Amino acid sequence: MSDRSQLIETGKPFAFDAQRDAEFERLVKRYPTRESMILPSLWLVQEQEGWISAEAMAYIADRIGTFPSMVYEAATFYTMYNLQPKGKTHICVCRTLSCYLLGKQEIVDYLKQELGIKPGEVSADGQFSLEEVECLGHCGTAPVVQVNGEFYEDMNVAKLKELLATLK
Amino acid sequence: MQVQVLSARFDIPDANKIDVAKQHGAYSTLEKVFAMQPEEIIEVVKASGLRGRGGAGFPTGLKWSFLPKNIDKPVYLAVNSDESEPATFKDRYILVRDPHMLIEGIIICCYAIKSHAAYIYIRGEYTTQVKVLQAAIDEAYAAGYLGESVAGHDYKLDVTVHRGAGAYVCGEETALLESIEGRKGQPRSKPPFPAVEGLYGCPTIINNVQSIGSLPFILTNGPDAYKAYGTEKSPGTHLFGISGLVKKPGMYELPLGLPLLEVIEKVAGGVRDGRTLKGVIPGGSSTPVLTPEEAQTVTLDYESMAAHKTMFGSGGIVVLDNTVDMVKLVENLIYFYHHESCGQCTPCREGLGWMLKIVRKIIRGEGTTADIDLLTELCDNIEMKTVCVLSAACTMSTRSYLNKFRHEFEAYVAGGAPTQAAM
Amino acid sequence: MAEKVKLFVNGQEVEVEAGKNLIDAFGAVGIEIPHLCYHPALGADGNCRMCLVGIEDGRPPLVPACKTKVAEGMKVQLDAEKIKKIQRDIMELELINHPIDCPICDQAGECKLQDYYMRYDGKPSRMTVKPVLKAKKMDFGCDVVHDQERCVLCARCVRFTRLVTKTGELGIVNRTDYARVNIFPGRPLNNRYALNVVDLCPVGAMTSRDFRFKQRAWFLTKSPSICQGCSKGCNIFIDHNREKYKDDVIYRFRPRLNEKVNGYFMCDEGRMTYKQENDNRLIAPQVNGREAGFAEAIEAVRRAISGATKTAVLVSPNASLEQIFSIRQFAASINAALSGYSDGYIKAGDGDDFLIQDDKSANRAAFTLLNIDDSKAGFDAAINGADLLINFQNDLGRSLAEDQLASVLANAKLIAISSAATGCTAKSAVAVPVASYSEDSGSLINCDGRLQRYEIAVAKNQPLKSLIEVTNLIGGEIANNQEARAGLQAAVAVLKDIDLEQIPAEGIALTESEVAHVAA
Repeated sequence: MSDRSQLIETGKPFAFDAQRDAEFERLVKRYPTRESMILPSLWLVQEQEGWISAEAMAYIADRIGTFPSMVYEAATFYTMYNLQPKGKTHICVCRTLSCYLLGKQEIVDYLKQELGIKPGEVSADGQFSLEEVECLGHCGTAPVVQVNGEFYEDMNVAKLKELLATLK
Repeated sequence: MQVQVLSARFDIPDANKIDVAKQHGAYSTLEKVFAMQPEEIIEVVKASGLRGRGGAGFPTGLKWSFLPKNIDKPVYLAVNSDESEPATFKDRYILVRDPHMLIEGIIICCYAIKSHAAYIYIRGEYTTQVKVLQAAIDEAYAAGYLGESVAGHDYKLDVTVHRGAGAYVCGEETALLESIEGRKGQPRSKPPFPAVEGLYGCPTIINNVQSIGSLPFILTNGPDAYKAYGTEKSPGTHLFGISGLVKKPGMYELPLGLPLLEVIEKVAGGVRDGRTLKGVIPGGSSTPVLTPEEAQTVTLDYESMAAHKTMFGSGGIVVLDNTVDMVKLVENLIYFYHHESCGQCTPCREGLGWMLKIVRKIIRGEGTTADIDLLTELCDNIEMKTVCVLSAACTMSTRSYLNKFRHEFEAYVAGGAPTQAAM
Repeated sequence: MAEKVKLFVNGQEVEVEAGKNLIDAFGAVGIEIPHLCYHPALGADGNCRMCLVGIEDGRPPLVPACKTKVAEGMKVQLDAEKIKKIQRDIMELELINHPIDCPICDQAGECKLQDYYMRYDGKPSRMTVKPVLKAKKMDFGCDVVHDQERCVLCARCVRFTRLVTKTGELGIVNRTDYARVNIFPGRPLNNRYALNVVDLCPVGAMTSRDFRFKQRAWFLTKSPSICQGCSKGCNIFIDHNREKYKDDVIYRFRPRLNEKVNGYFMCDEGRMTYKQENDNRLIAPQVNGREAGFAEAIEAVRRAISGATKTAVLVSPNASLEQIFSIRQFAASINAALSGYSDGYIKAGDGDDFLIQDDKSANRAAFTLLNIDDSKAGFDAAINGADLLINFQNDLGRSLAEDQLASVLANAKLIAISSAATGCTAKSAVAVPVASYSEDSGSLINCDGRLQRYEIAVAKNQPLKSLIEVTNLIGGEIANNQEARAGLQAAVAVLKDIDLEQIPAEGIALTESEVAHVAA
């Protein structure tokens, strides 16, 4: 956890595109209260933009009919919501227990060196971002790396090299 | 030792597709279910002895029977698929390999508890898994197993997938409800219990994926067939996740009650060559660690674990060998629980960060014996003073390492371990 | 009487009110259970864990008192060693990341954390690692300044904006020990009750820009009073202090609990009216635009009255019941027409459904009770042909435009009896200063027909005469509040059975029908 309270303001108004708009309307019918749409809406924004700006949060609050502070609380509480743009390739390395025991640190060290960024950072060219995350639920095939949402199990530096080569 | 009760379709290619799943028996028990009264189903589940597979092991049928009678509010089912306890990776197999078993279980449960709306709370990290699950739900709607008239019966059921977004605490059942309601995942004080006042203030049952996934087998084959597995007090089978420093880590379905060391040896291949066993975390990161001596007599069931002052937990077994630095392992665990503290209660919010800093101070070689004692005392001061058991998950496990491997902490204090720059 | 239950506290049998939680029920009989997050107006949250108490034979044995209702026969442990240890432990955890700099904290002296440390902890710090650093001096809007470092995350302020004002500006963002109270970017506090979060904050995390670092809390005398900012009559504390070689000065108003009127809160505008008690006061008597002695001014008034052919008397809707009664008597004795005209005190549409009222005067209901005509027509009739207007406290400039006021004063000589220096006092032939309400006592009837009483709070170095005393000096018969009250009791049916000398703290409800009946 870090302080996630500093939001980025784009200065531009946000709105769902047609696809997300339709998805919002489909989902909102599934819940007895509109506030339940806070998490799904934040996901929709992230799908659409890759990250969530202050304007997008204000849009969600208006759309749902709740306080921006409620959306702000949720967006900063749940660590998977990106509050700034990530790299084109976003790499998450599991850091917990079984992955720790099976050498996640070598993977992190390799990526730090290879990408020239530390966990939490985005490379200058915007190509890569790196994050250490908590248990990803793939302990039986540890260590595990998640790249743009896809899981890569039983990882080691050699495999990672191959993977990076396909991504660069 | 392995059995195939819940995992019967796991190895069938494309069993996540409804056609394949149906060929192999999915949804086949629904005719029988709809011919029964809801109360009868609850009795069958009670008779099966099924215990909640999320970690607490509370009897599932008994939980359902806590719903108030003559309710004038909707009843909800929340399926806990948050699976975030480190070392736990069992429910994922159901979500991906046999989601229709879960959906069938949801139908059975909802019919039994007279609910018409179920929410599957799936952890946000399960990015690919949620797609498989949602596709299966869409198939089930298309095939008429969900929606206005379930399997042609006068019974409506909607199932909605609600994604978490990176918060371990949402596996706590009331935090999960808060999260569905759109708020931060901060656990609620109990009472009121969710069965009385849960989601949207309505009676709510929260069950783990594996618990729900066990229902089709129990209803198809009867409670006795389920009880044929396991022990008297811990009947049935469990999807055990074995990970860590072991030759063949993975998910294995086993009946409850098997000897822990035998399972590690025979199922998971034992520790690596040239290494020796140093400890076993029996049921997820929060469960107190067992020394090899203690592990000798433990069997994989709720009672044996409790008798050894640890817990069955989520069945996530982690094997630790002689290369493991227990102090650094504790640092890894405290970091996790501190990271995941919801920030609501003072002891957990402030205390876990303090514990983390103390253990890091010890690792840096700046610690004193007083720091080890303080760490131990903080475990007591924090534990059970909070709304939920997240802090206890941290303190119970930390205390076990402090008690059983105190000499490793003392070695750091004595300068026996290499000092490192601030981690 | 409320229903009671008997239970045991530390083995002693205690009788408390039923239906309440342990904190409130015990608090009412003088037994303190320490708590930070619980507030009766905001409900139980249960996050601070400071109120954990033991329940003997209870399941669970340890419960938050804020979420536990009293029950017959319950055995509550407050002094058990394990409970005392929990309180110490929670205090230790509250304090590890809290700056230990009470001497420079604005809250010192009225800080729950400080009090509880003295009462429940008292141990030296065992914190030997770096504390969590947080932001300081954050502008939250509405003159609320937030110090994140001092915050204990009790969420009282957050709950206030969500449950009471329903504006929801505040939230607690992040989680774990990164949790912080904050505003959404560009959406600061924007409600008319925002400063209540300063009172609600149990520590020094929410401060008022107006008050912070002006006075130490322990130097302030806290005198109960009634806010006169509008007709709601919110109960307040007047916090004031006479510093060495200086005068008694008011530093702030704070809401004072009255369940029947304002609960625990007051509006920000009312809160800031304390400034009017300090500033822009009429201090020196004036005769024909120059400062004069008090006796000279009184003499000038008396001469004006005896020389006038027709006198009109104007009274303020802020005057107390006793003052209005005295003025009515005075007006009748000199055959003057009496008006309470004060349309300018009403800001139509300004009120809300909580505390703020359209009518910015404190005692208009007394006009109804005492048959004072406050219509424009009544004022016009009173002033018609009058060559003398005696104005008691009424800021006529609020009701009349400059040219209207000028045309009134073209024909009538103005005498102002006033506590404030206003446009009227500047234009008057004679101005006589009087004590303002913080320096006087009296009774008020609020917009809901509730009769309330305020007492003298501030004692100025050069005390001014009360309005009734001045009225008496210029010819009125009533000499003081006691005489006024006796007169009121004899003259007003609704007040007959009310002891005006003994008004209870919550006030007395005069039903609307009674007031209307008298008026009719």
